[in-house]
Amino acid sequence: MSQMELPLVIFTVLSQTAVGLVAISAIRQHAADGPAGSVRPEWMTAALLLIAGLVASLFHLGHPLGAPLAIKHLGRAWLSREALGIGVFTALVIVGFLTARGRVNAGLSFAAAAVGLIALFFTGMTYSPPGFPALNNVLPFVFFLLTAAMVGAGFAAYFTPAEKMPMITRILAVSLIVGLVVYLVVPFLWLSGGTVMRQTGLNYISSPLYWARIIVGLVVPLMAIWRMRTVAAWVPVLVLAGEIMGRIAFFLLAVHASANMGGIY
Amino acid sequence: MKKQLAFYIDAKRCIGCFTCAMACKNQYHQESGVIWRDVYELKEEIYPHRERAFYSLACNHCENPTCLNVCPVVAYYKREADGVVVHEQEKCIGCGNCIRSCPYGAPRYNPVLKRAEKCSFCWQRLDDDRKPACVLSCPTDALQIVDLAEFDEANAVQYPAGFPRYPSLNPSVRFRLPAMPKMIRRKL
Repeated sequence: MSQMELPLVIFTVLSQTAVGLVAISAIRQHAADGPAGSVRPEWMTAALLLIAGLVASLFHLGHPLGAPLAIKHLGRAWLSREALGIGVFTALVIVGFLTARGRVNAGLSFAAAAVGLIALFFTGMTYSPPGFPALNNVLPFVFFLLTAAMVGAGFAAYFTPAEKMPMITRILAVSLIVGLVVYLVVPFLWLSGGTVMRQTGLNYISSPLYWARIIVGLVVPLMAIWRMRTVAAWVPVLVLAGEIMGRIAFFLLAVHASANMGGIY
Repeated sequence: MKKQLAFYIDAKRCIGCFTCAMACKNQYHQESGVIWRDVYELKEEIYPHRERAFYSLACNHCENPTCLNVCPVVAYYKREADGVVVHEQEKCIGCGNCIRSCPYGAPRYNPVLKRAEKCSFCWQRLDDDRKPACVLSCPTDALQIVDLAEFDEANAVQYPAGFPRYPSLNPSVRFRLPAMPKMIRRKL
């Protein structure tokens, strides 16, 4: 990747936030006792995030008008599956928003969450190409799942009634702790790989962007939750900012296999 | 095995003159910075003599091409007759997925057309019973075209040091390793 790829940064972070938002909304409405919260605005937010992400993704294409053709290769191409998955997920979220009356139908809620998670898996496979040895594995899917859990839970806090804030706070805190461990460990694990993977690890560890992402998106939000025992309104904004920085690092700092042609792999 | 054309890179013969890369450029007049064939010097960690051993590399027309597999608009196809991987540029929407995915860096982004492109193995020339421009131009016969179904060179390797190993792609390329130079020293 080795380029900032801002359209893809926006598309992936926003779409994964929507997946997390919808999944947590489904759990909060139908798997926990008590009031559902502001469900309709929540699903509208998820729909708007998805639409904004999809519009941003068009700017990545050399020929944006060809975007509908991207579902032509469902048999083999993960990108085609991702396009279809995100498209179906967006449609389900819009239907959920339009039909919500206090709550979204349980079947629709869980179906949308399941399709969103499947689409997220497709996205993970799309961004784990052979060209990037450090990412040619399960890590992109793990990163994207963490984005959904962290930013999704953060944004869900805006729509959660006071009775269920402890649940959302726990989900966000646990997601942030897991995220912190994963993001601190992975670059150091890359150091034990081949030349290209090791260079990716070195790029991360020496990058102020990576460390800013750790502090802004993970450490500060965790400390805020620990101190306040709830999710303050500014915490999700920081988590989102951290994820955007992290995603820029994902695209910018990974080293392509061909960069070391003629050297030891 | 079906016919599968491949480049045979004889690093023992290659002198790093870049004629192959220039022939490719002369044939297709790619945009500035868009390179289909390049010549890579082996680093000293592999070959201890600087600027003495090279690999001339382009698309490897893999048996299981990742560019073809990841392209969402089916802009790539593999020819049944000879295994050449062809990119139909008019179908490309410029998503860059093939560029990210190919570990050999073969597909490149054309910033003018805003589409990917790559070495075509000069399939139009092949269909006219002519050699690819790069192969034809090599002054030392270090770059050759072989059919892997019939290729039987005991000293050839598929993954020499300095070339990424991706068995799942099975790149259609073979190498002969560079020889060490004869050292002639004056007696003191």
